[in-house]
Amino acid sequence: MTARRSPNSKRKEAKKLLAALAVVVLLCLLPFSTTSPYYLHTFIITFIYVISAASLRTILLSGQISIAHGAFMGVGAYASAILAKELDWSPWLTMPIGGILAMAFGATTGYPLTRVRAIYFSMVSLFLGLAIVALMGVLQGITGGDIGMIDIPPLSTIAIRGLPAVDFGASKVPSYYFFLILTFVVLLILYRIEHSHVGMSWKAIAQSYMVASSVGVNESGQRLLAFAVGCFFAGIAGAGYAHYNMVLTRSSFGFLPSINLLIYVLVGGAGSFIGPVVGTAVLVIVPEVFRSLKAFVPFVFGGIMLFVVFFMRQGIAGLFKQLSVKLSGTGEKEMPSRAA
Amino acid sequence: MTPETAVQTVANTLMLSAMYILVALGFALLMNILGILNFAHAAIYMMGGYICFELITLAGVNHWAALLIAAVSVGLLGFFIERFFFRPFLKNMNNIVIITLALIVILEATVNVTVGSFIRRIPSFVPGAFRFGNVSLSGDRIAAFVIGSLLLLAAFLFIRKTRTGMQMLAIAQDPEAAELQGIHTRRIFALTTAIGCALAGVSGSLMGAVLSLSPFMGDYMLVKAIEIVILAGIGSIGGVLIGGLILGALDASLPLFIGGSATDLIGLCIVIVLLLFRPQGLFGHEA
Repeated sequence: MTARRSPNSKRKEAKKLLAALAVVVLLCLLPFSTTSPYYLHTFIITFIYVISAASLRTILLSGQISIAHGAFMGVGAYASAILAKELDWSPWLTMPIGGILAMAFGATTGYPLTRVRAIYFSMVSLFLGLAIVALMGVLQGITGGDIGMIDIPPLSTIAIRGLPAVDFGASKVPSYYFFLILTFVVLLILYRIEHSHVGMSWKAIAQSYMVASSVGVNESGQRLLAFAVGCFFAGIAGAGYAHYNMVLTRSSFGFLPSINLLIYVLVGGAGSFIGPVVGTAVLVIVPEVFRSLKAFVPFVFGGIMLFVVFFMRQGIAGLFKQLSVKLSGTGEKEMPSRAA
Repeated sequence: MTPETAVQTVANTLMLSAMYILVALGFALLMNILGILNFAHAAIYMMGGYICFELITLAGVNHWAALLIAAVSVGLLGFFIERFFFRPFLKNMNNIVIITLALIVILEATVNVTVGSFIRRIPSFVPGAFRFGNVSLSGDRIAAFVIGSLLLLAAFLFIRKTRTGMQMLAIAQDPEAAELQGIHTRRIFALTTAIGCALAGVSGSLMGAVLSLSPFMGDYMLVKAIEIVILAGIGSIGGVLIGGLILGALDASLPLFIGGSATDLIGLCIVIVLLLFRPQGLFGHEA
């Protein structure tokens, strides 16, 4: 799929890009129909988690189920927030720095992780995530510990001469567009990575690390790369969250948030690129609909999860694939999901 | 550290370890025999505590009868979960992960909606405290330790000495070979889940009396159970004892010197380092 593409697959890609653009245009129109901060807030949170979940799937591609992803969001979030608050740097600068720091942290901690595979990897990553959150508690002086960190500067105003100034503090509309664009760009990058030579190696490792290394794939190197790339985008998402929310508590990055990210990916369908996007959208937005019955929201969440397991083996995105196969009769053949 | 504190710490270690091991043993059994990571195990631990609490406070059942009924009903719950949620998906790890996590969410929400999220406490099983010289220990702590140890002893005897227990060990070693020898694996799976859940239920009830009950008390215990299983090593059931003692000792003694988060951090780092250098755990066999 990398070097030579058949005209058929090119057409299919064009179709996919068109569909994605259509969704983006629709989402762009949303603020014109409603400026209710509540709806916009729900969508912004969804965008942030889409970035995270999609980057988690990047790690999953290489056959590594990481349960530390929420914690790496936290690394990016705290790094960016501390730099912006204590050193007074612009959030536009600290956000990418947060991503890079999360990546560096992921690469250094991920290096020993390449020694372990499969279920052992998942467990070490689980403990790694918990250890990071415990570390945030130990470093109370700069992270605020359990009380949390407040007064994080919001994204600073963009003022270009001749154009109206874009103020991120005044309304949620600029933030909405910013995160929409960011999500789109990140997804585009992740899509390109997945369909590149590197992505192919990751998938090969996931299918069989022995075969992959026997044909010259540097297994540990590639796995580390996948982990670092995933952590980078998680850090970006976390940093975005920090400056959007302006308040951070370490419980936002603990065990359950990490697990939730994994659920978004698995429920959406780990086998396809839009899986995490669909999964996040469904699992963040649908429970919000039932918000008035707050205590019952977990039932909706858990119910969706069970429904997907029992009736949609390929995740929600798998349903779309099956539909397209049925409608056109030519859809690509289902690959058995090999994420485990 | 005064001698009194030292004795208290040792007593706390033993009590805490017994509770940890009761939960971790069920978790380890499910992992070794069914080959699944049952994240919902800690939610079942929590359910045990709440069932016992409701029986005592609402229905006015005798304490010890309530403990027994709680253990049995949680065992039945495990039986039900195995039959309808685990059995159809044993081969698919992704689905098991989703299911067990969904069960946590649903069980916690059930308790949250019916009982409420206030922190509660089961009335003491053994009221009052016992004094040994300068050291005083609450009756509940002693009861928790005694009941926990007796149950563990029974569980280990069951696994090592009875026919069913040895069938469990055989499946843990090699499921296919065990099946070829005529072992009814499905029956053993159901039994394993029921026993594991019942042990967790007892632990939940006792912890509810020693400390407190909350719908989310399981999350903490889940982490402890996984840590213990890792220390012990996959495939090792005896190692759970040692793993539980190590972790119990850390959690009972370190908070005397450093803060709670730092204690968690040290425990986690020990486990991470161990996993990196000895992925099969202290007592496990090569995977």
